[in-house]
Amino acid sequence: MRILIFGYGYMGKIRHQVLRRHPAVREIKVVDPGLDPSGTDLGDQLLPADQPIPWSQFDALFVCTPNNVTADIVVEGLRRCGRVFCEKPPGRNWEDFCRIADAAASVPGHTLAFGFNHRLHPSVQAAKAMIGQGGLGEILYLKGTYGKSGGRHYQQSWRNRREISGGGILLDQGIHMLDLFQLFLGSVAPVEAVLVDSFWNCGVEDNAFVLLRSERGTPAFLHSSATLWKHTFRLEIGCQNGYLIASGLLSQTGSYGREELVIGKRQFEDEALALGNPREEIIHFDRDESWEKEVQEFLAAIQERRPPVHGTLEDARRVMEVIRDVYAMVEFPSAPARSG
Amino acid sequence: MRSIETTLTFSLSSVKPLEELESYRQRCLHLTREAIRKGCRHRADSPVSGLKLEPFGEVGGLPYGRCPTTGSLFLMEMPVPQEWARLLAEVVRLRHSPEVFHSHLAQSRMDHVYAPKLEWVEETLRLQQIREPRVLEAVTFSSDFTQLLKESGCFSEVVTEEETRLAGGSRSNESDPVHAAVLLESLDHSEDPKGLLEAVRGRLCKGGLLFVTALVASGFDICVLGLRNLYLVPPDRANCFTLQGLSQFLAQQGFALLEVSTPGVLDLEIVRAHWRQDSTLPLSDFERRIVTSDEAARRSFQSFLQQQRMSSFARIVARRDR
Repeated sequence: MRILIFGYGYMGKIRHQVLRRHPAVREIKVVDPGLDPSGTDLGDQLLPADQPIPWSQFDALFVCTPNNVTADIVVEGLRRCGRVFCEKPPGRNWEDFCRIADAAASVPGHTLAFGFNHRLHPSVQAAKAMIGQGGLGEILYLKGTYGKSGGRHYQQSWRNRREISGGGILLDQGIHMLDLFQLFLGSVAPVEAVLVDSFWNCGVEDNAFVLLRSERGTPAFLHSSATLWKHTFRLEIGCQNGYLIASGLLSQTGSYGREELVIGKRQFEDEALALGNPREEIIHFDRDESWEKEVQEFLAAIQERRPPVHGTLEDARRVMEVIRDVYAMVEFPSAPARSG
Repeated sequence: MRSIETTLTFSLSSVKPLEELESYRQRCLHLTREAIRKGCRHRADSPVSGLKLEPFGEVGGLPYGRCPTTGSLFLMEMPVPQEWARLLAEVVRLRHSPEVFHSHLAQSRMDHVYAPKLEWVEETLRLQQIREPRVLEAVTFSSDFTQLLKESGCFSEVVTEEETRLAGGSRSNESDPVHAAVLLESLDHSEDPKGLLEAVRGRLCKGGLLFVTALVASGFDICVLGLRNLYLVPPDRANCFTLQGLSQFLAQQGFALLEVSTPGVLDLEIVRAHWRQDSTLPLSDFERRIVTSDEAARRSFQSFLQQQRMSSFARIVARRDR
């Protein structure tokens, strides 16, 4: 297969690495007008920015661009190639997403997937297997914390400029946790939300607190943050017969800590020495194959001429609906008054 | 790959009290010597690396050798296969006799030793999305685990086969492949561990899972006590792989490792029990401090051993290569 990658930033490089290792991929080209050709080791893989894109030469494209151009490229890609993998978020806002959805509807036989790789993290997959008939019973609640510390260049990043990104940390990172909520609960809708631009003063939220409820009434709570000075990924799943805590992420930097899943089984006084302190098992994971699995699944969907299983248009629609509704229910975030 | 730690706790005395071990141990040594007298073969090479075993010391006069690359320990004088099979069967009978602690601790051992193993097998199969599998358990004469497997309701069929017959290449009438195979400490006392693994591999369907538990020489209590460790006794522990050695051995036989864990809870208690029994044991200052520390510190240290795969109780899940 011949692959075209749009955008060679953080995500573009990850996709490039994974695609290079895929046995079905024969050729990769990269388009990134912002890239200095002399500053990369891409060589002739980098297409000249001033020449038309030879769409017909490619079997699929990966869109790894800033949010403000995502929808345009995905729409064009669907029209010209028909097989598009789009990084999250699927556009800056609901309108961008709808443009993508409309374009997809007008291209029969298209293949379109979105980058929600957290579903494929080993701790999440293991947690999913434990729920329901997996032994822990039905879910009682979800509580997710996902956050980063920003960093020295946070204010300069396009991710925090509303005109480019469309939103703040909720859209950038919280979207993954929302996707996980939907993985476990099906559709969820926001009940209440608090968004604040409490520290970075970028004009977009740097903290989002969102209370949600599934269609069956199961509550879920998200804290998405750009002021978690210790990088954190933590998903707590309370179930009828126990609980699960997925934490840490096998990210490239390892800053989120070792990825693990705590499995606790409910024990009352007659089963344990102390009520409320049940035996736990902690599974540590050494390998994150989520990127590989995501790419494999997308390329397999193309080869097998079937819809993708992960990161579908419907998955994307659900999270973008939640984000649209949260932004609509909350006034523009402002910095809380600080004492002193 | 994954590894698992557990907050499960139980005391040494509830599963294998050191103070009651001696009679069982002496009987095992006696029976092994008797079996060797009837026919002996010398094991010169490491089953893992194929290199010459380095003499490591003796347990009750029986020599152990050390694999020069992995540090795994192997009994060097072995009874001939027929005698070995008889010896293992005799030891199983002994364990079920009222003479030794195993019988009066049967329920406790069921709760603390076997039930968590069943849970481990069931949950792993669930995670791997293998439903109602046909499972093979390699047994020595009989196994206390078989009934648990049968009663769990998770398996479409539980097939048991004697380890020595399996390793010897004898095929039972069972010809259908199995989806999972369980070797609970079977490799520790197999006269031919390579033959046993090859046979099990042959019975597993492609992608089938192998569950292995073993006492490993890389674990804390074996590292500290060496051959003074009273739990290291033939024939039960004729082979004591290190975790590295066991992992390598499984990979050599065509298995891909999915989980390598050492969720042991007793390492420190074992060293502590030995030290209480014999205060002249040559422990380092650090080891003595750990052994005599308070319960919270000991628990924390044991947890560290689990996290770093340094406990002597190893659990491995491997998949037969596709």
